[in-house]
Amino acid sequence: MTNLNTVDPAAVAGEAKIENSDVVITKSSIILRRFLRNKTAVVGLVIFLALTLFSFMGGLFTSWDKERIDPFNIGMPPSAEHLLGTSQAGIDLYALTVEGTRISILIGLVVGLVSVLIAAVYGCTMAYFGGKVDKVMLFILEALIMMPALLVVAVATSGGGNGLQKSLPSWLLLIIVLLVFSWMGTARLIRSLSMSLMTRDFVKAAQYMGIPPRRIVWRHLVPNIGSLLVLDITRGITGAILAEVAFSFIGIGIKVPDVSLGVLIGQATSQVSTFPWMFWVPLTVMFLLTGSLAMMNDGLRDAFDPSSSSVGRAKRSDPGKGKSGKTPTTAGKKTT
Amino acid sequence: MSHEMTAGTESADLSAELSAIERLHVAGLHAAGDAPADAVLSVRDLNVRFNTENGVVHAVRGIDFDLRAGKTLGIVGESGSGKSVTSMAIMGLLPPTAEITGSVRLQGKELLGLSDKAMCQYRGNDIAMVFQDPLSSLTPVYTVGNQIIEALTVHNPTMSKQAKEARAVELLGMVGIPSPKDRIKAFPHEFSGGMRQRVMIAIAIANNPRVLIADEPTTALDVTIQAQVLEVLHAAQEETGAAVVMITHDLGVVAGMADDIMVMYAGKPVETGSVDDIYYNPRMPYTMGLLGAVPRVDAAEKSSLVPIEGIPPNLIHPPTGCSFAPRCPLASDACLHGEPELRPVTGASLNGGLPHRAACLKTGSLGPDVDVREVFRAPAVPVSHFDAIPRAERRTVLELRDVRKHFPLMKGALIKRRIGTVKAVDGLSFDIREGECFSIVGESGCGKTTTLLEIMEFHKDQDGEVVIGGLSNKEASDAKTKSAMRKELQMVFQDPTGALDPRFTVFEVLSEPLENAGMAKPQIRKRIMELMELVGLQPDHVNRFPNQFSGGQRQRIGIARALAVNPKLVVLDEPVSALDVSVQAGVINLLDQLRAELGLSYLMVAHDLSVVRHVSNRVAVMYLGKIVEIGDVDSVFDNPRHPYTRALLSAIPVPDPVLERTRERIILQGDLPSPLEAPTGCNFATRCPVFVALPPAKQEKCLSLEPGLATVAETTGAGHPFPAAPIDQQFACFYPDGELDADMLVVHETN
Repeated sequence: MTNLNTVDPAAVAGEAKIENSDVVITKSSIILRRFLRNKTAVVGLVIFLALTLFSFMGGLFTSWDKERIDPFNIGMPPSAEHLLGTSQAGIDLYALTVEGTRISILIGLVVGLVSVLIAAVYGCTMAYFGGKVDKVMLFILEALIMMPALLVVAVATSGGGNGLQKSLPSWLLLIIVLLVFSWMGTARLIRSLSMSLMTRDFVKAAQYMGIPPRRIVWRHLVPNIGSLLVLDITRGITGAILAEVAFSFIGIGIKVPDVSLGVLIGQATSQVSTFPWMFWVPLTVMFLLTGSLAMMNDGLRDAFDPSSSSVGRAKRSDPGKGKSGKTPTTAGKKTT
Repeated sequence: MSHEMTAGTESADLSAELSAIERLHVAGLHAAGDAPADAVLSVRDLNVRFNTENGVVHAVRGIDFDLRAGKTLGIVGESGSGKSVTSMAIMGLLPPTAEITGSVRLQGKELLGLSDKAMCQYRGNDIAMVFQDPLSSLTPVYTVGNQIIEALTVHNPTMSKQAKEARAVELLGMVGIPSPKDRIKAFPHEFSGGMRQRVMIAIAIANNPRVLIADEPTTALDVTIQAQVLEVLHAAQEETGAAVVMITHDLGVVAGMADDIMVMYAGKPVETGSVDDIYYNPRMPYTMGLLGAVPRVDAAEKSSLVPIEGIPPNLIHPPTGCSFAPRCPLASDACLHGEPELRPVTGASLNGGLPHRAACLKTGSLGPDVDVREVFRAPAVPVSHFDAIPRAERRTVLELRDVRKHFPLMKGALIKRRIGTVKAVDGLSFDIREGECFSIVGESGCGKTTTLLEIMEFHKDQDGEVVIGGLSNKEASDAKTKSAMRKELQMVFQDPTGALDPRFTVFEVLSEPLENAGMAKPQIRKRIMELMELVGLQPDHVNRFPNQFSGGQRQRIGIARALAVNPKLVVLDEPVSALDVSVQAGVINLLDQLRAELGLSYLMVAHDLSVVRHVSNRVAVMYLGKIVEIGDVDSVFDNPRHPYTRALLSAIPVPDPVLERTRERIILQGDLPSPLEAPTGCNFATRCPVFVALPPAKQEKCLSLEPGLATVAETTGAGHPFPAAPIDQQFACFYPDGELDADMLVVHETN
């Protein structure tokens, strides 16, 4: 290996291949391949995508919309005309579910993604700079944790924020409020994780190479807590959907005429026995949503984690590379 | 293996359930006349298997040895060769999931198959162990006295409290802990690493064991402390007459201690014999390679090291041929069919101890006259074109002028008050010229790493001036100068695993500094291919993640990253200390070659003086933040003037048994003094062997005046660091020719 003067024909061939850019696989495709190996996760993703698609395209399959009242069918069970029946106000439940699912997914995605992003950047920045910056940022964080989120949501969405309410739809207002109160726990966790990463040599190496701090945080710290972030994103989406359902259920989240799964469930609870379809339809959709996310969680972690078992399995199927010696970290639980 | 062990793991006593076949087999292993009568420990056909998720790992594959009282067996091998597993199997410390077969007899009694409870009778009594990491082997909440007394109580329930205490004091005194009566009440954290290892040895020998197993007892310690601990082990063995099994990867450590050596590879002994047989007449290519891979601290002549390519085999798959064949330069077709057994070496000297045996088909053709370097095709010694130019005429790439780093020491919870200053680096000045390797050596805590960090920091507010490639930290430290400086200076880290972002592929690792330098994409790709080839890695491995490489390859990636922006100076922080001996040789050769081919300069920090001697041109010895001796590596190592350098050099074990037995050793007393108690005069006076022997009038001078650096040549003009003296060597001591204190001098006249 040390003798550089001998020309290895395999190396030359390899180099030619690299020139043709066949060999350099981008990391995103590696991650995608690994994700696709986890069947449960793929099923989860398919369900989630189907629900998303349904929430956007579902409206095309019915002539009814969420505002039109059918005066002849008030509180009717599912029929040929109304696939999922109608609500007590005589509005098509299918149209309502489509609309509600869309709002719920939107809230979940935006809150889940953005709050984790805020948490990651905030936590990493705290850890990277340390000292005074850390102290001030930690104080802000603590102050936000102390604030009673429920009250703020109630005030913002009902009485207090009148001016805001006029200019913003209630779902957007809820997103903002949820965002403000959802990132602190994750940020603290990320801060402590990044602090231990900061002592690792590769961060020092990057500093000594003269890489600007912004890029170190973004390229070295954030990806290294990546598996945690991914888990937190999917958990955050689930959490946001559940929070929206809960707030709407007790009447302080989404306000009618806006619809969400929570609003639908909340309206139907009082008459589960008489109008069961009104309760079970949105509830099933909600379970499908959160369940599919939980299924995806595992696969995503496998995909992002370099030491995951996903590599081991790939090696085994390729007899040529199977004997590449002991790599202690690839010995994952799922290889057998 | 022809025999199978009946499954009966849930049973407490395995031996009762052994099948008739197994019992016969074990009995057959110890056939009459097989094991010598005076052997205290005899091991026969020891096999250890671990069930892992990936399959069954056959970690130890058939070990036989007999150990006589008072003798020392050295087990040598790379990490993963099964040395530690062997010792744990003998001690019965392996988890119940491990499957152990074969036979281990201690004074005729079978140990394998005994229940944990039954084993406790032997452990710490007849057979004791010293572990590798002294920092974690003592319980922090009990005093060391308590822990010694505990070992005594377990095996001597009738002993009176006074007797036990007296014995504990005696033991502490035996392992060389000063004022043992008071120290017995001290907690482990009040002891330094070396002292804790002494306490561990005291506990191990508390009950006069017949067998003492030492698993890498000095790997975690500094060289001067290592010398102390080895001395204590030697004394302990003489005191108790125990047989010692010494497990180590360092061929130097066992050279002076062991009577017999067993070289292990892939879970199997590949060569056994007396220490002289192994060191002077190795007959197995692996042993030859290992011996050739170790740089020698006592050899001035520069020759490249023997690299052993490749990595040890994966023991999940049983090897079909010789396990070393894939890495062996002499392997032929015959080597791939059937694993060779240990067979006696023809013409071996039978002077007691283990007969010289080697597991190689080509044993007969490998005599003492075979040149290892030829066999392993060691590369020629690279010659840099700078070597021809006199040092004074070369450009300076790094210059340090009076650099200091003092840390304030604070105490108090609410109101912090300063109780002292830690002088981590105290007035350091040196320079590095083009194409040379400058090394800083010293014990841990002497300020080596802080010096590196100060250089890498490159900040205006630093105390002292750092000039890198003509750029001074004092003049301009704006972003532009800094990035210009970063192009001149790059760093290679100690731990190759930690230094690479586990989420980056090799391509990303290498492209990062290039992107930062503003290189275009196609150029980056070309440069990365160049770099991969330069450090001897396959270019198509760029898509792999670091965890798919071995330690040596990872370090090569680290070197490639450092070289990416074409720096003039590379800072090496213990570049090979985390690597196995055989891999280390390859990396050292690579560093040598790069220096010659690219005209690089190195600033290296290392505690391994053999590596320093091999790689460096100039060396500085640091003690408590100060340089005590500096100069050309050959003049400093061959003719050390400062007592500390002399002690340091004499403490390095040499892989040469005859030399090791006759060498006189300066054993320094105590440890590095706490930086708080830094003496006013000479820093080293508290441990100095010369100081102790001086008359009081002269001692006064050492205690009150601080010696400056003086050249070896007659001009004693201290202060200016680099006079154009004929000999490039300076030292900071008033009495370099003073006599050494007799107590600190140890000569092994044994054997």
